[in-house]
Formats: sequence, C-alpha cells, structure tokens
Amino acid sequence: MDALNQLFHGFGVALSPQNLAFVFLGVLMGTVIGMLPGLGPISAISLMIPVAFTMDPTSAIIMLAGVYYGAIFGGSTSSILLNAPGVAGTVATSFDGYPLARKGQAGKALSVAAIASFVGGTVGVVGLMLVAPSLSALTVSFGPAEYFALMVLGLTAVVTLSGNNLTKGLISGTVGVMIALVGIDSQTSTLRFTFGRHELYEGVEFLIVALGVFALAEVFVMLLRRGQGGGDGTITSLRLSRRELKEISGPTGRGSVLGFFTGVLPGAGATVASFLSYSFEKRLAKDGKTFGKGNIKGVAAPESANNGAAVGSFVPLLTLGVPGSGTTAVLLGALLVLGVQPGPLLLDEQPDMFWGVVASMYIGNIVLLILNLPLIPLFAKVLKTPQALLLPLVVVFCVVGVYGHSFSTFDLWMLIGFGVLGFLMRANGFPAAPLILGLILGGLMEKSMRQALLISSGDLTTFVTKPISATLLALAALSLLAPLYGAWRRTRRRQGLSEDDGRGQDEQPKATVGGTQERENG
Amino acid sequence: MHHFRFSQRTVAAVLGVLAVAYTVQAYRIPEFAAVQVPVQPGTLPRGLGLLLIVLCLALFLQKPAPKTAEPSEPTERDRSVDKAGTAGTAETAGTAEATTAPARRPALGRLADARLELAVLLGAIALYVLLFEPLGFVPATALFVTGTAWYLGFGRHWVNALVGVGVAAALYLGMSEGLDVALPTGILPL
Repeated sequence: MDALNQLFHGFGVALSPQNLAFVFLGVLMGTVIGMLPGLGPISAISLMIPVAFTMDPTSAIIMLAGVYYGAIFGGSTSSILLNAPGVAGTVATSFDGYPLARKGQAGKALSVAAIASFVGGTVGVVGLMLVAPSLSALTVSFGPAEYFALMVLGLTAVVTLSGNNLTKGLISGTVGVMIALVGIDSQTSTLRFTFGRHELYEGVEFLIVALGVFALAEVFVMLLRRGQGGGDGTITSLRLSRRELKEISGPTGRGSVLGFFTGVLPGAGATVASFLSYSFEKRLAKDGKTFGKGNIKGVAAPESANNGAAVGSFVPLLTLGVPGSGTTAVLLGALLVLGVQPGPLLLDEQPDMFWGVVASMYIGNIVLLILNLPLIPLFAKVLKTPQALLLPLVVVFCVVGVYGHSFSTFDLWMLIGFGVLGFLMRANGFPAAPLILGLILGGLMEKSMRQALLISSGDLTTFVTKPISATLLALAALSLLAPLYGAWRRTRRRQGLSEDDGRGQDEQPKATVGGTQERENG
Repeated sequence: MHHFRFSQRTVAAVLGVLAVAYTVQAYRIPEFAAVQVPVQPGTLPRGLGLLLIVLCLALFLQKPAPKTAEPSEPTERDRSVDKAGTAGTAETAGTAEATTAPARRPALGRLADARLELAVLLGAIALYVLLFEPLGFVPATALFVTGTAWYLGFGRHWVNALVGVGVAAALYLGMSEGLDVALPTGILPL
C-alpha cells in the first residue's frame, strides 16, 4: 500500500505544530468570514492570500484549504439563521435550515449541518486520495456538450423540485437565465439589455440577487407577519436523537459521494452538487413533502454535498492544474505565486505537498467539527435578538455585503428591486430557487453551448449523439415529465377517490417560509 | 401576505407583456458579423423570450390551484387603489395611530394595515441608500438601525442607540481595517 505509506508521511507533515496551527487559523478565519453574507470562499481566500505569501508553500496551501471549507461551513450558518445565503453553494441549505430555525430548532439544524459537512468533507478527502490519479482521465472526456447537458439537468432538477406548479418554476428558471445574460457578451462583446447603464455592463452580480430575493424578501415577510411565528431563540437541544442520526445518515452518505463526484467535474462545483443532492433526496424520501418545511434531511443532503464538492474540486486542481471553480482558480493563482505548479507532475515531484494537503484536510475537518459544535449556541443567539432590532440589522448586512463588493449605490437600488421581486414571487407562489440557479448557470450554459456548437460547426445533434451528454439530457427530460405524469395520475385518482388525497405532495418548499403557512391557515 | 397575491391570470398577463417586450428587445440585438459564429449574441435571449411567452400563455390558461382561489379578491383591488395615495403620508399616520391604539399593538410596527408598514420600511431603506454615500456609512447606518428599530417598536431606547452606533462603527472598522474595504466616510473626518 504505497498510498497508505504516503498518507502516513502526509500526516507527519500536517501534524507538525506549525501546520496544525495554520489549519486551525485557516478554518477559524474561513468560518468567521464565510458567516458574513456576501463574503464567500473566494473573498475569504483572497483575503488570506497576503498572509499566505509569508509562509512556505505547503503550510500556505494547508491554511488556504482550511479557509475554503471553513467558509463553506460558515456560509451555511447565515443561510440557516437568517435565510441569507451569502454563497451560492449554501442556497439549498436555507430551504430546510431556515424553517427549522423558525421552529426553534436552529441548534439542531446547525448540528446537522456541522455533522453533514464533516462527513461530506471526510468522504471527499478519502475520494481525493483514492481516485485523484485515475479520475483525472475521466474529467478530460467532459467536453462542452457534456457540460451543457449537465447544467440543463441541474436546472430542470431544481425546477421540478420546487413546487406544485411546474409552469411557475419554469418561468422562474427562465427569468434567472435572462438575468444572467445581461451585460457584455463575453464572446462577441455585444451589449445585451444594459439599457445604457454602464453599471450593467458586467452583468448582475449573483450576490445582489441572492441577498435581495432571499434575505431582503424575508425581511418584508417578517414585517408583514408582525413578528409572529418567528424563531423564539430557544435553541432546544443540539443533540440529535438516535433516530434522527439514523435518518440523516442516508442523505449524508449519498450527498457526500454525489457531491464529491460533482465537485471533480470542472465548472459544476458545490452549487450544482448541493441542488442536485437536495432534489435527489426529496424524491427519494418517503416524507418528501415535508422537505422545505424543516426536514433535517433537507439540511444534511446539500451540506454534505457542498463540502464533498469543495474537496472534490481539488482533484482537477491538484492533478490537472485546471481550476474547476472560481474559488479554486484563486487558489491556483496563489499556488503559482508561491512557486508551485500544480499538475500531473505534482504527485511525483512534491509528494510532501500533495499528501500533506490531503492529511491536513482530515485534520481540518475534525477541527471544523470541534470548533463549531461548541459555538453553535452562540450563533443561534442571533435569533434571540428582538425582531424589531434584527430586521434593520439584516438590511444593513445585505447593504454592506453588496456595497463592499462593487462600491456602487446603483447595485443597492438593484438589491431593493430584487427584494421586492422576491417578495412578490413568494406571495404569488413562484419558487425562488430556479431563478437563482438559472442566474448562476445561465452564463456558463451559453458558453458551453457555444463551444459545443463551434466544435460541431453548428450541428445541434452533437448534444444527443455523445453518450454522456445524451444520457444527461434524457435524465433532464425525464425529471420534467415525471411530475407531469404524477399530476396526471393524481387527478385520475382524485376523480375516483376522496378530494384531499395527495394534497400535500405538491406543496411549495420555498413558499413555506412565509406563504404556505399563511395560505393554509387563512 | 395575501394582499400581495394576485390572480393567476393577472400575473400571467403582466408577465406576458414583459416577455413580449423582452423578446422584441432581444430581436433588436445586432447580429455579430465580424467572424462566423454558430450562436449569435441574440440567439439565446430570443429563444428565452419566446419560451417565456409560451410559459405565460400556459399559466394564463391553467386552472389555478383551488387553494389560491381568493375569497377577498374584490376588497383587495379596492384597497390597492388607495394604497398609492396614502403611502406617502404613512409615516405621520403611523405615529398618530400608535398613540390612539396602544391597547393591542402588533409585535412589529405601528400601523393597522401591514401594507402601509411595508411602504414605510421600503421608504426607510430607500432613504438609507440615498444617504449612504453623502452622509457616510457610520452615520447613515446608525440612523437607519436606530430609527427603524424604534419605529418597529423596540422599547429599550438606550440599547437601541448603542446597538445602532456600535454595529455601524464595528462594521466600518472591520471592513476598512480588517478587509481593506473602504466604506464611504461621508461627513465624518476619518
């Protein structure tokens, strides 16, 4: 077992007091920075790069990796407590995490998130160790056509999972892609839908839409609800019962593996992984209809997947030297400045570095768990803040997050606009998740579509003649048709049986946060 | 919440009009002729616009789910008319009403009609954004937090003021010193 020997050697590197301290520092900084809405892994890593430059390369990458998964975990905290996902990868976590927090089970939701993150990260590291060398071959076979198909699948999966009305979901997703296309076209430099505003040339930032549609809209809903039904800040218990642990074990395990493999694919990353895992578990679970209303499985699935994916994205980075995401691109930049050239030769030339990083990830995950479990009650105190005070504070955090990114008040007006849009969408039963995902994937989708068609010289059949792409597209079509078939069968059955049968089946996951509850009572 | 729920047909019609406008705009995106490209910059927007029109049609023709059928439909329309008129005076009306009806005050806000409350909050946020750069981050934020929390009914005024100023100052220091993000200083000689 050469790999095992290497790993022991790696632990020797990672367990040196100096590197241990750096892991700790990285994870802590990552968690804290990631918790602030608007500051995600990219900002966290960029902020730590100046610090990293003073260290030797191995310690530096060990610390930066710690920052990365710390930030992903920290992002889930604000998703759960405030419904303010600052990072795309934690949007799916808020679907069930926030309803749980509102039910007074913030502690439980955070515990589940911590445990699922830990498992996801650990499975990811094992995967990185075992398959990194051989997987690099497969990822090379993913061309633009396959990416396009993968993104279509991700989008349809989210559309179908989010609500009773497929049409509304599709409208949301379409509008999301439309927003993504605003700005200068990257290939032809044509201006699209900028209305002469130079602020729009670079497109609409994901952060503005996410904070507006989720956090700011939530503020409006809180106000309309007059503070009733808000989380009362009682954290209940952090402990999960044996039954609950058993319940989340399945979603966590599947999410971790799914997340890792999605993360390995360049471009897909933590966001797609978390959405895919969430929709997959919703389908699979017997109590799938309680997803979106505070089901712990709905927290475990995306959390394990996004952490698995975060580690998975190190595979192409370390073995191919190809960054799979914005975050790993920043990491690659940092590595190059440190004089390390990641790529196929890294494993042979600098085994210390590769295995040291792998081992430090094991340790980092444990540190993450130790650090976060005791701090959960502290985080959950956020909910004890009286709503009259919390409300303006959430607004301030959104404003700071957006302004600190672009330094433009124009973006702040857009933030308000998207807040109103998100509120109206929620009031009228339009799911917000497809909008966000459409926005995230839209640009990439167009790019890979163009590349694929350029390669095939305009031949559209390229998407269906390639086996991987054809399979993915077939799955996407199936995921759209399945609910239609289900609805058709239900109406058939309803005609024969009593009225209320299968009623809960098509509840809105997202609207739960405000709309559904009220709609059912009122 | 139900005040802002419109009939499915209304939503579909409004969206449909927007979709048509978008599609028209999409067809006006110039073709890129410098190099032969398989996908024009306008291709995807046009497809999306047409797709959205079709989806809006589908939504318009769909039977709304039985749950969303609103019993209070007519009153809603009546009120939305006077909403526009009173929104501007909401602030003053709010303080007056608060003094007259202290008996059963809602946990958040002061007005009986939640829609006006929403207008007040939107106004406050807009004012915050307007003053963000000229007044500077710290004063604008402190003012916004303290003022809004007071208006929404946060009782402990000293705590309120301290939190407003404290959060504003802490965020400013954290952002500018720790993260090198320069927030507007405005009137403060920083």
